[in-house]
Amino acid sequence: MDRNQAHRNRKRGLKALHFLALFLTMSIICIPGLWIVLNSFRPTVEIMAKPAVWIPSFTLDHYRAMFGGAGEGGVPVLSYFRNSLIVSVVSTAIAILIGMSGGYAFARYRFRGKSSYFVGLMLFRAVPGVALSLPLFIVFAKVGIIDTHFGLILVYVALNVPFTIWLTDGFFRQIPKELHEAAEIDGCTRWQAFWKVEFPVARSGVASAAIFAFLTSWNEFALASQLTRSVGSKTMPVGLLDFTAEFTINWGGMCALAVLMILPALILTFIVQKHLIAGLTFGGVKG
Amino acid sequence: MFRRRLPEWLVLLLPAFIVIAAVVLIPLIFSLYSSFTPYKLTRPSTLWRWIGTANYERILTDAKFWAAFGRTVLFLTIVLNLELILGLCIALMMNKVTWGQRTLRTILMFPMMFSPILVGFQFKFIFNDNIGLVNNALQSMGFDVALPWLVDGKLAMFSIIFAEVWMSTSVFAILILAGLFAMPRDPLEAAKVDGCTPWQTFRHITLPFLMPFIYIAMTIRSLDVARAYDIVQIMTGGGPARRTELLWTLMSRTGYVDARMGLANAMGYVSILLSIAFTVYFFRKLSAARAELGMGG
Amino acid sequence: MSQVTLSNVVKYYGKSRAVHGIGLDIADGEFVVLVGPSGCGKSTTLRMIAGLEAISDGEVRIGGRVVNDLPPRERNISMVFQNYALYPHMTVRENLGFSLKVAKVDEAAIVRAVDEAAGILGLAELMDRKPAELSGGQRQRVAMGRAIVRQPDVFLFDEPLSNLDAKLRTQMRVEIKKLHQRVGNTIIYVTHDQVEAMTLADRIVLMQDGHIVQVGTPLELFNTPVNTFVATFIGSPPMNLIDGVVDGETIALDGGLTVPVPLQAQGRVQDGQMVHFGFRADNLMPEGHGVFEGGAVATLELPVILTEPLGTETVLFTEMAGTEVQAKMLNPRPVRPGETLKFQLMIDKCHVFDAATSNAIRV
Repeated sequence: MDRNQAHRNRKRGLKALHFLALFLTMSIICIPGLWIVLNSFRPTVEIMAKPAVWIPSFTLDHYRAMFGGAGEGGVPVLSYFRNSLIVSVVSTAIAILIGMSGGYAFARYRFRGKSSYFVGLMLFRAVPGVALSLPLFIVFAKVGIIDTHFGLILVYVALNVPFTIWLTDGFFRQIPKELHEAAEIDGCTRWQAFWKVEFPVARSGVASAAIFAFLTSWNEFALASQLTRSVGSKTMPVGLLDFTAEFTINWGGMCALAVLMILPALILTFIVQKHLIAGLTFGGVKG
Repeated sequence: MFRRRLPEWLVLLLPAFIVIAAVVLIPLIFSLYSSFTPYKLTRPSTLWRWIGTANYERILTDAKFWAAFGRTVLFLTIVLNLELILGLCIALMMNKVTWGQRTLRTILMFPMMFSPILVGFQFKFIFNDNIGLVNNALQSMGFDVALPWLVDGKLAMFSIIFAEVWMSTSVFAILILAGLFAMPRDPLEAAKVDGCTPWQTFRHITLPFLMPFIYIAMTIRSLDVARAYDIVQIMTGGGPARRTELLWTLMSRTGYVDARMGLANAMGYVSILLSIAFTVYFFRKLSAARAELGMGG
Repeated sequence: MSQVTLSNVVKYYGKSRAVHGIGLDIADGEFVVLVGPSGCGKSTTLRMIAGLEAISDGEVRIGGRVVNDLPPRERNISMVFQNYALYPHMTVRENLGFSLKVAKVDEAAIVRAVDEAAGILGLAELMDRKPAELSGGQRQRVAMGRAIVRQPDVFLFDEPLSNLDAKLRTQMRVEIKKLHQRVGNTIIYVTHDQVEAMTLADRIVLMQDGHIVQVGTPLELFNTPVNTFVATFIGSPPMNLIDGVVDGETIALDGGLTVPVPLQAQGRVQDGQMVHFGFRADNLMPEGHGVFEGGAVATLELPVILTEPLGTETVLFTEMAGTEVQAKMLNPRPVRPGETLKFQLMIDKCHVFDAATSNAIRV
C-alpha cells in the first residue's frame, strides 16, 4: 500500500512540474511577441517612461503615422509593404513552378547521381546571404538590375528553389506512382496525368511549400538590405531600419511596422501548419 | 529525329539549374576571382590586379578574423546544442499534453514566422538597458539595477544567443514532436513490460527512433545558420568593441563599410565553407541514421 | 478483335535481364493468368503490355496491331492495380468517369456508362464518396468499375486481390469471374497466388526467373506438371517429392522403401537413373478413407506425425522413406500423432522427374 501511495505522490508531483515547465515555455515564446504588439499601441512617452508604467494606455498614433505617409520620421511604410508583397508573391510563384518541376524529377525519375544533385542543390541554399550579397551587389550593379524589383525577385527565386524542391519531392513521393500510371491508361498524356491527378492530390503540400517560400522572401534581410536602396524597391525588413536614427530609435513606430510584417506570416502559417510539418519530415525521413 | 532529346528529368530540373547558376554560381565564381584581387569598390581598376592568395594570407594571420571565426564556431556549437536539448525537452513535454495540443503546437510555431531581423529588433527592445522589458521588470521588483544587456560583452553574447535560441528552437521541437507522433507504440510497451525505467526506455528506444528527425532539423537549421547575421547586425552590430563580432558581421563591415570587396569575399569563402561543412555533416548523419532504421527508399 | 500476342519479348533493366524472350498467344475473350513467385517477371510482362514499361526487344500486338511504342492511352486497355490507384481527390463517380472525360465524351454518355458500370458492381450507393471513405472491398470494386467504363479491348489485373483479407479475396474472385463471363473481354491477370490462378484462369502461364515454364489449363498444370517447379507451385498442399534411383521396374527411394515405376514413366527410365518420385497428398490415403481410381496400388505402414483437420478432410503429415510427406484422409476419423496407419499410394497417379534436369518423365 505504501509503495502505491509513494508512486501516486510522485506522479502528482511530476504532473505539477510538467504543467509549470510547459507554462514557462509558452510564456517565453509568447511574451516577446505580445510585448511588441502591446507597445505598438502605447504612446511613445509611456514607452520611454522612467520608472516603467505597467498599466498601458491605448493609442493608434503609431498606426496613424505609419499609414499617414510622411508622418513619424516620414517612413513610407505603404511603399515598403507594396514592394514586399510584389517581390514575395512573384518570386514565390516562380520558385514554386521551377521547384515543383525539380521536385517532381527527383520524386519520379531514377537517374545517375541523383542524391549528389540533391545535396548539391541544398548546398547552394546554404550559402550565407551576406557572403552572396557582396558579389551579387557588384554583378547586379554592372547588369543594372540593382535596386529593382526584378533583381530581388530573381535572387529570391534562386534562394527558394532548393528548399521547394526538398518539400515538393517529399509530397510527390507520398503519391503512389500507380496514380499517374492509372491516369495514363485512362487516356491521359503524362502532362495531363500530372495536372489532372498528381497536382490536385499534392495541392495542399505544394501550398505549404509556397508559404514557406513566401515567408523566406517576406522575411529576408541580408540580401535585400544591400540590393535595394530606394523607396521604390526596399522591402519591409529593410524599411524597419528607417526607424533607427544615429542615437534614437522610434520604438513605437517600429513595433507597429513589426506587427504589419508578422500578421500576414502568422495567418498564412496558421492555415498550412499541418502540411508544413508533414512535408518537412517526409522529405527528410524517406530520403 | 535529328537531335537527341534530353532526358525528361533533366528538362524538369533545367530551370532550377539555370536560375541557381545565374544567381548563385556565377556571383560565387566572380567572388572567388575577386578574392584573389585587392578589389575596392571605390577603385574599380583594382579588380584587374591579381595578387594571388594575399587576401587569404592576410585573413589567416589576422587575429581579429580568427577571433570572429572562433566566436562563430563557438556560437553555432552553443546555439545548436541548446536548441536541440530545449527542442527535445519541449517536444517530450508537448507529447505528454492531453488536451489543447493543437493550440500549443501552433503557438510553438510562432517564432518560426518571425523575420530574423524582427527577432533582433524585438530583443534589442526587450534587452534595452533603459526602457527594456527585462530591466523594467527587474527594477519594478525592487532590484536597483540597469543591467547593460547589450553593452557588456558577456551579457551581449548571452542576449544574442537567447534571441537565436528563441527563434530557432521551434524547428527542433516541431520536428521531434512529429517524430514522437510517428513513433510506433509497440516497442515502448514492450520495453515497459520488460522492466525498463522511463529513462532507459527513452535512452534505448525513443532516442534512436528520433535520431533521423533530429538530423532533419539539424540539416534544415544548418542551411540557414547565417540568419544569425540579421540578429547580430541589428542587436549589437558586432559590438561592443567587436565582442560579439561574428564572421558574417565582420565580412559585411569589411565589404560595405570599408569597401574592401576582395578581402571581404575571401572571408565570404571561409564562411561559405563553414556553412557547407555543417550542411554536409548533417546530411551525412541523416542518411546514416536513415539507413540504420531502414527508412531508405 | 482483341487477341494479344507477345513474340520474343525481352526486358532489360540496365544490364540485367528481367524477362527473357517471352512468346504467348492470347485469344479474344480468354482469361489468362500469369502466375509465379515474386521477381519472376510476371508484373513486368503485364506492365510492358500496358505500356508502363518500355519493351527492350521483341513485339507486343494487341488486336493485331503492334503497340511497342504506343503510349498506354493509345492501347485501349484498362488496368486494375494492386493498391487500386483510385484518384483520392475525386468521388467514386468522378473516378469512374475520368477516362471518358479525358476522352471528351459528352456528359450524357459518361453518365450512362458510369451508371451501367456502377450497376454491374453494386456501387450505386457509394457514388458521391471519396476513396478514403471506402472499405478495401469497395475500393477494389471501384477500381474494377473504372476499368469497365472504358470498354477496353483488354483488361489487365496486377495482383488486384492481394491487399484484401482472405474472406473478401474469395468473394472478389467470384465477382471477377462473373464479370468476365458478363463482359467477355480478354483478361490478363497477374498473381502470385496459385489458388487464384487455378480458380480464375482459362489458361495459366507459369513463370520463373523471366521465363515461361508451362502454359496450359489449370487441370493440365495440376495433372501433368512439366517439372518439379510446376509440381510444387501448383496445388495445395504442394506435391510430395522423394529422391530415388531407378532399379529395373522399381524405384528405390533413398530412405529404403521401394515403389514400382508408374505407368506413365514406364520404358522411359533407365537403370541407375537418379529421379525425384512425386505424388500428391490426394493420392496417398489411409485405407478406407480415399477414392480409389484403379491402377497399381502400393500399401505402406506409415507413422502420423501431425494432423490438420479441415472438416471434410484431414491432412496427415507423415514420414515416408525418411522424407516428410503429406497425405489426405477423406471422411476423417480422429487420428492421434504417433499412431501408425496403413496407407495406400496410387502408383499410376504418381510422377517421376529426372533428378538432373527436374523435368518430368512421362509419355
